[in-house]
Amino acid sequence: MATSDCKPDTPPQWVDKLLEWLCPPEILEEVLGDLHERYYLRVQKEGVKKARSGYWREVLAYLRPSIFRRKSLQYSYPTITDMLRNYFNIARRNVYRNKAYSLINVLGLALGITGAILIFTLVKYHLSFDTFHTEKDRIYRVTTEFHQEEIAYDQGVPQPIGKALRDDYTFAEKIAMVYSNSDWLVSIPSAEDDKKFKEAVAFAEPEFFDMLDFPLIQGDKNTILTKPNTAIVTERIAEKFFGDQNPIGQMIRVHNKLEFRVTGVLRDLPINTDRRDEIYVSYSNLKDHNEWLAGDSWQGVAGGMHCFMLLKPDVLPSDVDKAFPELSKKYYNERDAEIYQFKLQPISDIHFNPDLGGYIAKKNLWALSLIGLFLIITACVNFINLATAQALRRAKEIGVRKVLGSKRGQLFWQFIAETALITTLALVLAFVIAQSVLPYLNQLLDIQLQINIFQDVYLLIFLLFLLLVVIVLSGSYPGLIMAGFQPVLALKGKLSQKHAGGFSLRRGLVVTQFVISQLLIIGTIVIANQMRYSRQADMGFTKDAIVMLPVPEKEEPTISAFDSEISQLASVEKLTLCSDAPASEGWASVTVRYGSRTEIENFDITVKAGDHQYVPTFNLQLIAGRNLLPSDTVREFLINETAVRRFGKHSPEDVIGKKIQIGLNNSKGTIVGVVKDFHNTSFHEAIAPLCITTSTKWYYNCAVKINPANLPSTLSALETSWKEVFPNHIFEYNFLDEQIARFYEADSMIFRLIQIFASIAIIIGCLGLYGLISFMAAQKTKEVGVRKVLGASLPSILWLFGQEFTRLLILAFVIAAPLAWWVMQNWLENFIYRIEIGVGIFALAIAATFLIAILTVSFQSVRAALANPVDSLRNE
Amino acid sequence: MRRSDLGEFEEVVLLSVAVLTPQAYSVAIAEALEEETGRTVTTGAVHAALQRLEKKGFVNSQMGEATSERGGRRKRLFTVTIAGSRILHEVQAVRNRLWNRIAPSSLPKISFT
Repeated sequence: MATSDCKPDTPPQWVDKLLEWLCPPEILEEVLGDLHERYYLRVQKEGVKKARSGYWREVLAYLRPSIFRRKSLQYSYPTITDMLRNYFNIARRNVYRNKAYSLINVLGLALGITGAILIFTLVKYHLSFDTFHTEKDRIYRVTTEFHQEEIAYDQGVPQPIGKALRDDYTFAEKIAMVYSNSDWLVSIPSAEDDKKFKEAVAFAEPEFFDMLDFPLIQGDKNTILTKPNTAIVTERIAEKFFGDQNPIGQMIRVHNKLEFRVTGVLRDLPINTDRRDEIYVSYSNLKDHNEWLAGDSWQGVAGGMHCFMLLKPDVLPSDVDKAFPELSKKYYNERDAEIYQFKLQPISDIHFNPDLGGYIAKKNLWALSLIGLFLIITACVNFINLATAQALRRAKEIGVRKVLGSKRGQLFWQFIAETALITTLALVLAFVIAQSVLPYLNQLLDIQLQINIFQDVYLLIFLLFLLLVVIVLSGSYPGLIMAGFQPVLALKGKLSQKHAGGFSLRRGLVVTQFVISQLLIIGTIVIANQMRYSRQADMGFTKDAIVMLPVPEKEEPTISAFDSEISQLASVEKLTLCSDAPASEGWASVTVRYGSRTEIENFDITVKAGDHQYVPTFNLQLIAGRNLLPSDTVREFLINETAVRRFGKHSPEDVIGKKIQIGLNNSKGTIVGVVKDFHNTSFHEAIAPLCITTSTKWYYNCAVKINPANLPSTLSALETSWKEVFPNHIFEYNFLDEQIARFYEADSMIFRLIQIFASIAIIIGCLGLYGLISFMAAQKTKEVGVRKVLGASLPSILWLFGQEFTRLLILAFVIAAPLAWWVMQNWLENFIYRIEIGVGIFALAIAATFLIAILTVSFQSVRAALANPVDSLRNE
Repeated sequence: MRRSDLGEFEEVVLLSVAVLTPQAYSVAIAEALEEETGRTVTTGAVHAALQRLEKKGFVNSQMGEATSERGGRRKRLFTVTIAGSRILHEVQAVRNRLWNRIAPSSLPKISFT
């Protein structure tokens, strides 16, 4: 026989299995019989190989509806789904029967998951910044480090560096210089009614758009910004400026002097980019705007002057960093080459580097994620606690199931299924909550988050993962406990608490929850205190009731006219023309040379320009010498105490009458007075050495001290007078205290977030505590009854409930306090001027936790304690 | 609901049952049809047709003996019922009548070589 050498081959086994599963049992025998017989016939006729491939057709021919359709069943054939359906039925009934318990569970989980979803969305939003550029791994920004006594970091670079990098090195495929600044006055000359806007404008080289993915929707990519006096704008700006008209060919005017023709329209910027300029104009026009900015000076760095590089694929950023010292040597003298050091910053780092103007440090995002994890853990802990407390109620069910032959594993999976049901409910609820609170969160944080589950694969994966983790974390322990009940004991009703999982484990879980809540509470209190301190502490100058107005034109006689116009208003108490307020994000920081010393000092001095009213308006305190004289011809300086110290002098009197020369237009003058130190930036930074001098051309602002009574009319009077002097500009005002509060924007964002999530954690904890105490009260009904009959007082019974939680709470505090101290001390390191974490904070934290715990526990325990013992003891 | 007409495939299956009785079952019928038509015929198709025929009352079935090639499984044997016999005769009569009415010249000639 041809097939004698190979073993009589049987058709694939799994096909039989498939058909066994699909075919109604009454025809299975003939079908399989037919298939096998045919197969053997084929083997004999055509060989194994052909028979096998033919077998497929045979099997497929059976897969038709008439085969699947079952006749009315004579017997029920239980399948695997029947038992699953039973599990879900029981689960549904359990959820229904213990409504309060289920509600607490679902709510707790939902809140935790909501927190996790929001945090995930927020973290993902921040991590997505500037990741959409195709070449994102090769795009770098050049930044400057000033190495003096201390290292200072600046995102800006000297203007000529772009050219130098192009000419001297071959690292880069593309280099683009961009000078951007916010609050430019942009007007449209063709519009009939004089339209004026304040917008962010950037002078950019065309290469910028070859590197970064900001696609054009109108205009030619090859010619945009190549010619002088051309501009491109985003869709949004085009719509805002020109309405329905075609933006191409329209003119815009910047700062009332430079005119640009729009030659292209960019697609609207994605929300996740830090490049927020929406108007780009030819870089070659920078010299028309400001000659110093566009000049070839390597000295000094203008904020907003950026240099972006697209490195060649085979060039490592470290190679470029290694070449920078050489570049410094070439363009600076020996001393400055030490000071000016350039570094590459990857574009992915820009959003996260606070030293270089990044919005949020990555460690804050991780801290936030950790809080999210905490929320999930507390929610799971709740679940475990309540589920194990409830376990005894189900002893009978488990006993019966076990007697009927359920195995441990099956029971375990039953409870997992129940957990899955509750968790899924919670997840759906959480999703709804997250969707509905998102607009508020966006408003609170001033961002634009979206939750779109169908477009966001990561979110979907995250949710599924979360579901799985929560189910496993919260379902497995109660499941193990319940599946392990002894059926005999369970049926006799002789199971006691000690069988339902050690009480110590539940205690441990409650302690965990308390630890998390207290960590968050202490964190909230510390941050709140520091924020209050930053806002309210004496900064060394008056910041209340001061309005800052812009001074767009600084030429005489406009400026004198302005001065007299404003000062004649009744509610204006004092006013000063100045570069900026005493505390501001820094205007100029330059080199300084003291007295007859030949070397410049080893530090930079901060310069503020202000007229003779600067000191009285801000109420600065002179501790030596006199104020500046109201003259612009003789240069005079006031310096602060720090500057005195840094000049190496001990007494303020020593410096009076000495000359200094600063690196701003090489101004040279006499020190006429010393002011007491005041905070010149946020509390994140130390007070810098500083000087104040008069100079009309640096007066960008006017600080007006007003009488706070009748504020609205004062403001409108200011507006009227201002507009009279500067009819071609847009009136704006800022309150100084609000401007200063803005220093702490990132901090207050973190504060608001931690507040929200701490509240969620506390609410979840309370829900769990409430559930637990209700259960305890039910368990102890008899005990309370007996005690009352024997004469126990109300307080002693309350103590019965209270002592347990008090002990746990104190234990939690002992764990949480040092941890919180350490974490918050780390956070406070960000501030040079900061609060001390005192005993008061910890006392407040534990008091708050106690109060919350007592409020939660009291209702149930008082009710239990007040119950009539007759009711509880009558039934046995 | 119950269609009492006869599809083409059903017709040849029913004829095959008549031919193969008393050993008419899916595999035998499929083999016979393959031999006759030269095309592949799956037992599944035959089985489905037989099910339909049984539902229409043209065949009866009972379980037969088991063989080793079938893995010890029994086969279902089919016989033609009176209704089945009637419908076969009807179909044949219709065909014959139609054949007889064809004029000698109207069918294109084909040669059997």
